[in-house]
Amino acid sequence: MTYLGYVVAAYAVFVALLVVDVIGSRLRLRRALRDAGQRQQRADARRRAATQPPSLELER
Amino acid sequence: MIAPGTEPGLWQTARALAARDLQLVWRRRGDALQPVLFAVLVVVLFALAMGRDPQRLAGSAVAVLWLAVLLAGQLALDSLFRADAEDGSLEQWLLAPVPLAWLVLVRITMHWLTTAVPLIVASPLLAEMLHLPHDQLPMLLASLLLGTPLLSLIGGLVAALTVGIRRSGILVALLSLPLYVPVLVFGAGSVAASARDQDPYGALLMLGAGLVLALVLAPLATAAAIRLSLN
Amino acid sequence: MQSIVRWFHLLGSPPVFDRFARRGSRLFYLAALPVLALGLWQALFVVPADYQQGDSFRILFVHVPSAWMSLFVFALMALYAAIALVWKIKVCEVLAMACAPIGAGFTLVTLLTGSIWGRPMWGTWWDWDPRLTTELILLFLYFGVIGLYMAIEERRSAARAAGLLAIVGVALLPVIRYSVDWWGSLHQGQTIRLFGPTTLDASMQLPLWLMVIGTKLWFAGSLLAKARADNLQREAGKDWVQRALGEAP
Repeated sequence: MTYLGYVVAAYAVFVALLVVDVIGSRLRLRRALRDAGQRQQRADARRRAATQPPSLELER
Repeated sequence: MIAPGTEPGLWQTARALAARDLQLVWRRRGDALQPVLFAVLVVVLFALAMGRDPQRLAGSAVAVLWLAVLLAGQLALDSLFRADAEDGSLEQWLLAPVPLAWLVLVRITMHWLTTAVPLIVASPLLAEMLHLPHDQLPMLLASLLLGTPLLSLIGGLVAALTVGIRRSGILVALLSLPLYVPVLVFGAGSVAASARDQDPYGALLMLGAGLVLALVLAPLATAAAIRLSLN
Repeated sequence: MQSIVRWFHLLGSPPVFDRFARRGSRLFYLAALPVLALGLWQALFVVPADYQQGDSFRILFVHVPSAWMSLFVFALMALYAAIALVWKIKVCEVLAMACAPIGAGFTLVTLLTGSIWGRPMWGTWWDWDPRLTTELILLFLYFGVIGLYMAIEERRSAARAAGLLAIVGVALLPVIRYSVDWWGSLHQGQTIRLFGPTTLDASMQLPLWLMVIGTKLWFAGSLLAKARADNLQREAGKDWVQRALGEAP
């Protein structure tokens, strides 16, 4: 009985886990950095808006 | 403020908490029967799914009964801490002069008395519906008597971990089922072993040992979980 | 000695940990790759086939390391959780929660490779073999920890609650294992399932140890990477994150 298919399948599952794991970590890291960057941008925008004189016009 | 020297002792607080819990259950005694109704429902559905044949029903009766009790108990876990968490009584527990673990033990005991004992009382009726051989009934009752307190103690820990989470039903099931496995295995297995004339007492002793350990350790872990959840 | 202790304490600080994790995860991944590659090559091409099971026994070299990792990671997760609960160290909370998905992945691989191995051995894709059944329950324990961590909004409380669950799980795991073994033995009269050679021939030891070490190195790299991401997410508002943003990932 040839076991080739089974062996290949099992090893493929193992390698797939390692690959998915690395990609998952990468994605998570990138998302964390991106979120922190956006947070920084929002904070900067708020600071800039705070230093400008308040407009006396009603803005709709 | 409690004057020094007049602090309530362990038994006083236990009596007070037990009386309060019993009063609350009495006011909603209809609700207290819900676990039993659920178990009956489970048995009915199993019978409908498996067919009328008494031999087949009798063959899986032990498993179905144990599962009905286990699942009914799991649904009842929601009423263990949630009501007190919502109205702030649980935070009062943190300030009590007695150990939190003691209050937890009393609460779980009352909960077991009001939800699991009716199930155990109803189990002969359910067993009859599933054509369980009569000579297996004593072993079934013994396994339930030892197993349901264990389920309540373990379930109490899971309930405490999830007390702050809204709509936690499925999460409670997911968390508690792996922890329930030994109880289920030894509980249902003891009856199954006795049915096949194998020794059931090993399994019952394991349940007993687990119960003794859980009586001491589970309230401590549950108290820690309550502190975590309330912060 | 003093400087080692000091370095260890410094690692508890989120910005220091971030720098360490960035370099450390890269190093561990790079170290793992040759070890794993050598192990896989040895397992597939060098080791002679088993006289009883033929080539299918080669699955052992991915199944057993994954099984050992699934248990090791759970124990490590519980250890980090215990440290985090007792000493309230943020970085340990992050490390504990980062262990969970990796451990769950290894558990899943154990189950899948076990099932694939079982097909030619037993003729079915699944058998309630006590060891596989315990692995399945372990998978649910992992899912429980992950689920609890995701269900609570406040990150620190979530990590501590999930950590407590992990500690309880690790304490109960031997009991679960014992009960499932007992349950499996209730139905005696069946031939003992062959799930790998009972004693390992010397020629089989090298690939196995290579795979064991390789997966541990890989786990270390993965753990640091995930912990770094979680750490950054938690600390997003702090100054040191703003400064770190300028550097490459």
